[in-house]
Amino acid sequence: MNPPLTPSALPSPEQVRTSLRKVVDPEVGVNIVDLGLIYDVQVSPEKLHIAMTMTSPACPMGDMIIEDAETALAADWPEAPPANIELVWNPPWEPSMMSDKARGNLGW
Amino acid sequence: MIFRELPPAWRLPLLLMAMASLLAGVLGGLARLAVDVPVAAQLRAGGHGALMVAGFFGTVISLERAVALHRFWPYLAPLSAGLGGIAFLAQGPWWLPPALFCLAGGLLFAASLAVYRQLPALFTFTLLLGAGAWLAGNIAWLLTQDIGVAALFWMGFLVLTIAGERLELTRFLPPQALGKKIFIALLATICLAATLIPLAPEIGSQLLAGAFLVLAGWLLRYDIARRTVRQSGLTRFVAVCLLAGYGWLAVGGALGALGAFTPGHPWRDAALHAIFVGFVFSMVIGHAPIIFPAVMRVKIPYHPFFYLPLLALHASLLLRGAGSFGDTWAWRQAGAILNALSLALFVLTILVSVARGAYNRKPIV
Repeated sequence: MNPPLTPSALPSPEQVRTSLRKVVDPEVGVNIVDLGLIYDVQVSPEKLHIAMTMTSPACPMGDMIIEDAETALAADWPEAPPANIELVWNPPWEPSMMSDKARGNLGW
Repeated sequence: MIFRELPPAWRLPLLLMAMASLLAGVLGGLARLAVDVPVAAQLRAGGHGALMVAGFFGTVISLERAVALHRFWPYLAPLSAGLGGIAFLAQGPWWLPPALFCLAGGLLFAASLAVYRQLPALFTFTLLLGAGAWLAGNIAWLLTQDIGVAALFWMGFLVLTIAGERLELTRFLPPQALGKKIFIALLATICLAATLIPLAPEIGSQLLAGAFLVLAGWLLRYDIARRTVRQSGLTRFVAVCLLAGYGWLAVGGALGALGAFTPGHPWRDAALHAIFVGFVFSMVIGHAPIIFPAVMRVKIPYHPFFYLPLLALHASLLLRGAGSFGDTWAWRQAGAILNALSLALFVLTILVSVARGAYNRKPIV
């Protein structure tokens, strides 16, 4: 069995968010972090736990975005434990959760 | 192994049933315009609208909603709709297809209710109304044995479903109080028109068309596509598809407001197909590269070639419309044939893109 990763080999939550910025919602042309879909990132030697939401319960893209996010993290952090991305609906997404940059681009 | 929902590979038979309805529906439409198509398609030409809207769109829209809900039971909706199309193609008892579509409509309504309960909002309510319109059309067909009575309800199903999804995306933009009020007024007008259609068909259909015309203006004014069209790649392509589609919704709405939704009207073909083909299929062409990968879990890398079927569809629809206005049968027929070939080119584009996506995904060793 491999020895557990040392904390320094793990990405920081902010580095995880940077990797997740590669996953873009093709309809809006903005990444999932700046859209405010990533609620929480927790990094431990056992797992990368990410709580993510969607803007609509009628949108079928959830699983695909999760898969793209896992692929982006595995590419950037091959030695980190696999990502565990949980789809959550509370609190519901609101426009105020978007980053200032995204809101600026969208005319806020 | 226990699945909490239907795995992607199992969704393929549902999609194939939808494609069977699409193929037979398109050929049936051509048969109506006296194009020489196989006898099997000629015999089913009376079900053109049912195959296109209930068999094809009913199956794919309810499949899309089932994928979003992550549960098993919503998949019974696309299963029922797909089987409804197959029952029509197999020429079973007359009541079986509308009965299966009623079941599918009821299930999509229940699935849309689940979506609304999870997030009560104007856009989820609009999706619910869309599902209700489909169910109403299917019930009307079953009760009257006349597919024609369902046509405007089915149009409402597709227009409301698209409008609800577009309304959802306007939340990325700064809120527009007036825009929201106009949208609510439009929903109320569409509901009123739907109530009037069985009682006073001409007034009801003209009111519905007027609401669609204003809705086209609303979408052109408030949709995020106006902003995303300035981006690049797939995002711009989707926006171009949408904006072009809104133009056709306006054309169909304007013609319908002048009375063209009435059976026998010389512009009826142009009015119905401006909306069903120009508006709805533009949306399909724009969103297939996003939704198809989400449903089937394959990759569709963007390529500028995507514009070709879009351009072909719009050009052929212009020709068809010109044929209707000029009462030039040959143009109308040629336009319809080219409409069908544009859709075939679109399906081919998607299949080639899926193959490209699979090739690109292979690990480099």
